[in-house]
Amino acid sequence: MNTFKSLMKIAVKPTTIVFAVVSLLAAPVFSACKYGGHLKVAIPGHFTSMDPHLGRSGWDAYLWRQFTDHLVDADRGLNPRPMSSLAEKWEVSSNPDALTLTLRKGIEFHDGTPFNAEAVKANIERILDPANSATPRSSLAVIQSVDVLSENKVRLNLSGPWGAGLSQLADRGGAMNSPTAISKLGEDYGAKAVGTGPFVIKEAVQGSHVHFVRNENYWGKDKDGNRLPYLDEVTIRQVKKSSVRTAALRSGEIDLAYASLGDIEAFEADAKFNTSRMEAGKINLMLMFNTKMLDDPNLRNAITHAIDPAFINKAIYFGQNTVADSGMWLPGAWAHDPSVPRPSYNPAKAKEFLKKAGKPNGFEFTMVTFGARKPESEVMQAQLAQVGIKMNIEVMSGKAAGAAFFKEGKFAMYATSFSRYPEPDWAGSNVYKSSGYYNAANLPNPELDALIEKGAALSDIDERKKIYRKVDEIVLGQSIVVPMVYQTFVTVASKKVGNIDTVSMHDGKMNFREVCMTE
Amino acid sequence: MIPVMFIITFLVFSLLWAVPGDPVYAYVGIDVVLDAEQLALLREKYNLNEPFLVQYFLWLQNVFQGDLGRSVESGLKVSEELMARAPVTFQLGLFALIFAIIVSVPAGILSAVYRGKAPDHAATFFSIGAVAIPDFWLGIVSILVFSVALGWLPTQGYVNPFEDPIQGIRHLVLPSFALGCTSCALIMRQTRSAMLEVLAQDYIRTARSKGLYELRIIFVHALQNSLLPVVTILGLQAGRIFASAIVVETLFGLPGMGTFVVDGVLGRDFQVVQGSVLLMAFMVLFCNLITDILYAWLDPRIKYEG
Repeated sequence: MNTFKSLMKIAVKPTTIVFAVVSLLAAPVFSACKYGGHLKVAIPGHFTSMDPHLGRSGWDAYLWRQFTDHLVDADRGLNPRPMSSLAEKWEVSSNPDALTLTLRKGIEFHDGTPFNAEAVKANIERILDPANSATPRSSLAVIQSVDVLSENKVRLNLSGPWGAGLSQLADRGGAMNSPTAISKLGEDYGAKAVGTGPFVIKEAVQGSHVHFVRNENYWGKDKDGNRLPYLDEVTIRQVKKSSVRTAALRSGEIDLAYASLGDIEAFEADAKFNTSRMEAGKINLMLMFNTKMLDDPNLRNAITHAIDPAFINKAIYFGQNTVADSGMWLPGAWAHDPSVPRPSYNPAKAKEFLKKAGKPNGFEFTMVTFGARKPESEVMQAQLAQVGIKMNIEVMSGKAAGAAFFKEGKFAMYATSFSRYPEPDWAGSNVYKSSGYYNAANLPNPELDALIEKGAALSDIDERKKIYRKVDEIVLGQSIVVPMVYQTFVTVASKKVGNIDTVSMHDGKMNFREVCMTE
Repeated sequence: MIPVMFIITFLVFSLLWAVPGDPVYAYVGIDVVLDAEQLALLREKYNLNEPFLVQYFLWLQNVFQGDLGRSVESGLKVSEELMARAPVTFQLGLFALIFAIIVSVPAGILSAVYRGKAPDHAATFFSIGAVAIPDFWLGIVSILVFSVALGWLPTQGYVNPFEDPIQGIRHLVLPSFALGCTSCALIMRQTRSAMLEVLAQDYIRTARSKGLYELRIIFVHALQNSLLPVVTILGLQAGRIFASAIVVETLFGLPGMGTFVVDGVLGRDFQVVQGSVLLMAFMVLFCNLITDILYAWLDPRIKYEG
């Protein structure tokens, strides 16, 4: 018996070593992507429509990005990727200004309608028609008309130079819908949308889930030349409560979701899950000022220098988000420039600004926010009180707060969050420009307006960077719109899900075309 | 019943209309930009330029033609959305009520029969706890216990019980439990006090002195006569369940009417709110009608004059 035990000890040890070595060598094979599988995802957002042109919620992108392709596809830095774009090449011309797209051949929408120049024309004209109330209309306002040059060549005739064009076509405005389906379904199209993308909508239950299946005829390949998509099916569920999403991940009902800030550490330490971080997936806390009500930049600077975003990040966001280091062009976007001077926590400087404004003992104002930003607002209220500024807080629903601040001019400041828009012209034209929809005061600012118009027109990225740096200097220097905290998105997935680093796109939204199962 | 329904829709419409601000901006989502021309066309499309009464009567005119309009947010037909969502809320409410009745009536009887003893104390403790504990907290804890720890039931989602009965019922167990607990407690207390009142009656004493079995006395003689106030509270609980469904639907990801109408209110989507309120008013009034019919069935002395 003792001899047997000794022999076993001698035999087991090398066997164990051999087994371990074989496992290590075999590990890359066993963890590689496999074709097939059903990915179940939980998203906290509120979906309105699957029509990329008419949907009213930023969360809709989590749906339409699965079944549509874009005229121009872009990486996280918003650099165009012709390989995965519906347009395989593009030409910018001037006199007159135009953008000519040569489209990829042989692609069909999921209902069999050919994707061609006529389809592009139909989509863009649909966006530009004001009667449709299309969401990306303002982003494509530079397009005056669309000409079909051949079966796969289309020319967008522009009212002026459009340096922002390719980026805008990488967003909603460039997502292509089947004109046949739009014509057939009319106002019901939003529930049964049809694209050319890697997944086809199989079932959509409003308020519950959308079930996609693989597009067997999908044209796309990943950078290694592998056919896409890997997955057979994807189900995206609307699960608003973070505790329920966490429970669903842990019970295995859901394979992938964003971790709530309080759960990030636990998931990152848990060997049963993979995680992938995207810093600055959106602006989580941003202060927007009505420059008519608070017309003295010294007062606005006093406010922004009295607030400590690092403390807010620690106290409310579990230290998981990042303190903003620039303006609305977030890290990863080419326009991001952390060297531009911006407000930072400095109570002494805040008091100096108050003196400059002639209010050394402080002043009082009222701000508005929505429920989710109430805790941060209360912290800011306490911090401002330390320099003598009394801030009153009004809490409303999101839409009501937005309307009250931007359209009715009732409040001096709005504490809000904002999606990630790596194309700087989106924020430039819609937020900073005097006529911008999200400019509460709409006061003329010729210098800023001229810079924004120039930035949108230029094609050269380096020239555009210089322009937007100047824009940031004005906007941040005068505390007109000041991001305070950028949101970190941590995608959590069970171990069997691979390629989760490909999930987050340039706008922070999810895309599953390259996600796979590894077992 | 019908006049009541329309009075309710008029009042709700008035409240929506009275909210300050231009409703068209509520039709534009956050992060969405519509220019002045688009906003003007939206106002025209939804009759926002018309006076208040004209807007209401235009809506009413469409209702009489069977058209509840389209959601401003999704563009989908309100009637189709309600037809898809109402059964979910109805199933949830029905399961919650069934759970409440199955647990509360026997508990109330037990509590009354064993008044002052351990079963009575246990039932009282449960009823106070169930009324005090919020639905959403109960829901979260039940998810942690039954879904995550034990793995018996799903955490969220909805499966139509008519398409897959087993999965459908599994998905409704926890939401029904969370929603039905408060009703359970209230019905139990009412059953207890009604039973105590009936058990103190002379005819019960007579039945006992005649030597009838105690179980027969309780379930044949006492229970039926104590059900009238219980049925009253059941009818009231139907309304409470519809109102509380929103919280449970949100927590468990059920695509019901609760979430639909709240999203409509926050978005000032008046087509959605009006259509939903009309249907909910009908459902509550219908429950009251059933309650009245049950009265007449339970107590033959009650007659309704035609």
